[in-house]
Amino acid sequence: MSISGFGYLIKEGLKNVWNNRMMSIASIGILVSCLLLTGAAALMSVNVQQTVKAVGESNVFTVYLKQNVTELQAVQVGENLKNIDNISSCKFLSRDEAIKQYKKDLPEEIYQELIGQGNPLPNAFKISMADLSKYSDTVTKIKKVSGVDQISNKSDLAATLTKLNNLVSTAGIWIIIILGLISLFIISNTIRMTMYSRRFEISIMKSVGATNLFVRIPFIVEGMVIGLISGLISTLGLMFVYNILMSSISNLIHYDAIPFSQMSTGVLVAFIISGIAIGALGGIISVGKYLKKEGNEILGW
Amino acid sequence: MIEFKNVSKTYQNGTKALNNVNINIDKGEFVFIVGASGAGKSTFLKLIMHEETPTNGKIFINGTNVTNMHHRKVPYLRRTMGIVFQDFRLIDKMTVFDNVAFAMRVIGASPSAVKRRVPYILGLVGLKDKANSRPSQLSGGEQQRVSLARALVNNPLMIIADEPTGNIDPEMSYEIIDLLSEINKYGTTIIVVTHEQNLVKQFNRRVIEIGNGQVIKDSVPMPDLDNEADSSEGQI
Ligand SMILES: Nc1ncnc2c1ncn2[C@@H]1O[C@H](COP(=O)(O)OP(=O)(O)OP(=O)(O)O)[C@@H](O)[C@H]1O
Ligand SMILES: [Mg+2]
Repeated sequence: MSISGFGYLIKEGLKNVWNNRMMSIASIGILVSCLLLTGAAALMSVNVQQTVKAVGESNVFTVYLKQNVTELQAVQVGENLKNIDNISSCKFLSRDEAIKQYKKDLPEEIYQELIGQGNPLPNAFKISMADLSKYSDTVTKIKKVSGVDQISNKSDLAATLTKLNNLVSTAGIWIIIILGLISLFIISNTIRMTMYSRRFEISIMKSVGATNLFVRIPFIVEGMVIGLISGLISTLGLMFVYNILMSSISNLIHYDAIPFSQMSTGVLVAFIISGIAIGALGGIISVGKYLKKEGNEILGW
Repeated sequence: MIEFKNVSKTYQNGTKALNNVNINIDKGEFVFIVGASGAGKSTFLKLIMHEETPTNGKIFINGTNVTNMHHRKVPYLRRTMGIVFQDFRLIDKMTVFDNVAFAMRVIGASPSAVKRRVPYILGLVGLKDKANSRPSQLSGGEQQRVSLARALVNNPLMIIADEPTGNIDPEMSYEIIDLLSEINKYGTTIIVVTHEQNLVKQFNRRVIEIGNGQVIKDSVPMPDLDNEADSSEGQI
């Protein structure tokens, strides 16, 4: 096919989008919602995954002492902890220091609630392990030291976050499948309407010897243009939603979300590719059935 | 150029439209196809265009057996034919120029080829000054000439016209057939289906009569009056 022929087909595809603009807008709306929900789920998942990774990699555990252990007694507990061979560092964290940390991280009301009848936090030690593979063995030894109440189990947090992540992914996949199908349905119907309104031209095209590919391309281009526009709108939309969501989460808890700018290229590329793919597929689906028709059949479908 | 060998066509609902038809049309011939309504004339043309396939028999066009042609090859077969319909089939939201150009564009012609060819063909059918009109602003005869220009623009080996004069008045009808005769002089094969006996009588051409799905008469033109045909053969 010549370049000029291709240019003509692209132009025809663009005309289709414009001539059928109400349906095009509806298709774009549906596809944008689909991409937005999918994208939101994906970004949430990325954030959770990053947190899980950070938690998993950090080698700092908090050993909480029993409430009745005073700071003075804690010194002795600290000595005993240091004697456990796998413990590489051991730093005292007084309950006063700990509560100050909370005051910084939490909103004022929640903080007030927390300290209600005085500081509820026990004294604690921040420890690190020399060899994390001996984790559970070391935890057993730490728990045997008198005065130790419990040890923060960071892997619990990691597990919770992973569970959340899986939930988000599963829900995300269903959202993608269902909304993808809806988008496909709407787009292929939009294109079928365009085809219907152009059936007269199609019958002429076929009678002068246009190949099926040539008849088909403008409709596929129509789908791809709808997909491309949807991809662009969705990227902007997701940036907007993500920034609002993350800044409100950051206000609530101390959390450094991955900045959107770091993911914008990936989101843009993914949205445009999937938008165009869904659009093209919609075009292919709707055209195939009608290409087999001939002559007056086309006019009378 | 067109050869039907024992061709029968039965439509899906059981209607027998053609029954064991043998027809041979040579390159450069001008043929009228006549016959009563429902005789099978349009079916004959549809089989040539490969809009329908025969139930029995074989069809050869330009030397190739097209009976069971692969659907991918059909467009290229159609590019060797210019098709003219009774109802013109012009696109009214396009100008006359664009209607003709459309046939070139949809088979991938370059814009420069379109620019060169379309005005030339419009001149040939006498519509040079109507290039920017809409089909609906033209008379029936003029519209049919636009449709003829569209059929000619891709330089086909044959023109196939199903009742091209069915929707226009007798005077204009004569002009259309006359124009087709002119085109025939360049060597383009012409096949015209018509009801109008009077029109057929005005031209000394081969006439094939179809009745009840069969060839019931095939009369060759008087030789002395046909000395013009093929005399200036060449591309349009
Ligand atoms: N698609 C179809 N399905 C079923 N029957 C058909 C179909 N097309 C034509 N026929 C039947 O086949 C027979 C021949 O039809 P055809 O259109 O070839 O006749 P015709 O000679 O062109 O008639 P007319 O002069 O009225 O145009 C008729 O009986 C018609 O009803
Ligand atoms: Mg007919």
